[in-house]
Amino acid sequence: MFGYIEPLKPELKIREYELFRAYYCGVCKSIGKRCGQLSRLALNYDSTFLAIFLSSLYEEPPCVKAGTCLVHPLKKRNIIANDDVIRYASDINVLLAYYNFEDNRHDEHSVLATAGILALRRAYKKLKAMYPLKCDIIEKRLGELRQLENEKCASMDKSAEPFGRLMEEVFAYQPLCGDEKRESALRWIGYNIGKWIYIADAFDDVEKDIRQKAYNPLLCQFEFKGGDPVPFKASIRERVEFCLTYSLSEIAKACQLLGSRKNAGIVENILYMGMLKKTEDILTGT
Amino acid sequence: MRNPYEVLGIKEGASEEEIKKAYRELVKKYHPDQFQNNPLSSLAEEKLREVNEAYEYLMKNGNFRDDRDFRNNGERWQNQNNSGFYNRVRVCVKNGDIGTAEDMLNGTADRSSQWYYLKGLVFLRRGWYDEAYSHIQTAVNMDPSNYEYRDALNRLNISTRTYRGDAFGRGYGRGADLCTICQCLWCTDCCCEMSGGDCISCC
Repeated sequence: MFGYIEPLKPELKIREYELFRAYYCGVCKSIGKRCGQLSRLALNYDSTFLAIFLSSLYEEPPCVKAGTCLVHPLKKRNIIANDDVIRYASDINVLLAYYNFEDNRHDEHSVLATAGILALRRAYKKLKAMYPLKCDIIEKRLGELRQLENEKCASMDKSAEPFGRLMEEVFAYQPLCGDEKRESALRWIGYNIGKWIYIADAFDDVEKDIRQKAYNPLLCQFEFKGGDPVPFKASIRERVEFCLTYSLSEIAKACQLLGSRKNAGIVENILYMGMLKKTEDILTGT
Repeated sequence: MRNPYEVLGIKEGASEEEIKKAYRELVKKYHPDQFQNNPLSSLAEEKLREVNEAYEYLMKNGNFRDDRDFRNNGERWQNQNNSGFYNRVRVCVKNGDIGTAEDMLNGTADRSSQWYYLKGLVFLRRGWYDEAYSHIQTAVNMDPSNYEYRDALNRLNISTRTYRGDAFGRGYGRGADLCTICQCLWCTDCCCEMSGGDCISCC
């Protein structure tokens, strides 16, 4: 379910690309520092976006340093220095990765997931102590998600609700929530991003879920009767496309209202191009 | 009643300023003074009446773009044919009291087009876009002549189209396509043949 939020690289300016990389490295380094080197394997693009997006709401220019890391020991790279936002994004990355492993272990009893849980357990305990409220809410939402899955909920909107609310919590970054209006915009962005991820993922997983006889809200809502998934996907494409594009349009509108102070090029690239490209790729199955 | 935007000759979602400007121009154009002793005077009167109605509708319903409230997803007032019950639901929707509006709608057995329309607005506020679309679509199917319902449905489509337009304006979908890439490859290949970098040996 992770790694859907990417920039559309060919449309990034070189300096934006460099900055994106620097954020990516910054989050990665921060994960290593705070949660142990093994946790860095859980790094994904979504948390890079979280870091870029949240820092875009601060005025101070990003502090870039050159440095090396374990993966690239020889070449010096630009890395965004560890600040509060980077730390938050890296913590969220590890937390969500841990929950994702738990989810996979529960669903598929996979060895990889068990290994992941073992690797992240200590980090998770530490983070749970740091963000007790956020963790409680996230766990509650995951419980709701599981319950809807067990009930075989036949509405994409309803089944996506808990994940939307979960991401809402992730985007409601406390230091930026002083102002009620800004908080509601942040939450609305998070909600719509979560919704978009969940439904895009459901469409992407149709074939897999048919094979594994697993729950998929789209199979339930549009009453898949067996047979070839290709015409089934084609028949629901328009409905899903509307829902996904509408979520993106709401994210874009809310971001415009927030008015980013920096990183605008990257944020806009991701919101208007990267996520739209991803949507179209998933819908056309490429 | 015709689509008020069409009557005023402006695009849907125009701002208050644009609506006023279009209205003033049309009033000048159709003003009775211009058509005294003219065979077209009754037509002009009719046109002017239409323009006035359209303008009043848009002004009364606050039916123009409001950039300040991003959650203001198209719920608006309609004074014709409203029972008191639906008026109260509308007030709740307008004030953002979605929970009460939803409880009220769930508590009635009525399933008229208006019920589907308001339920659709409630879903829209919640971010349940698929349900919102199908409910408003149902309202339109049940009462195709209702401008308010069609307007709401239109707005949903306009929103996704605006987003796509913004993406295109930022350069999305205008990059090198596969054909251009192949052409570049072929040209490069032709140039490099002499220096031994040939990867398409036949040309």
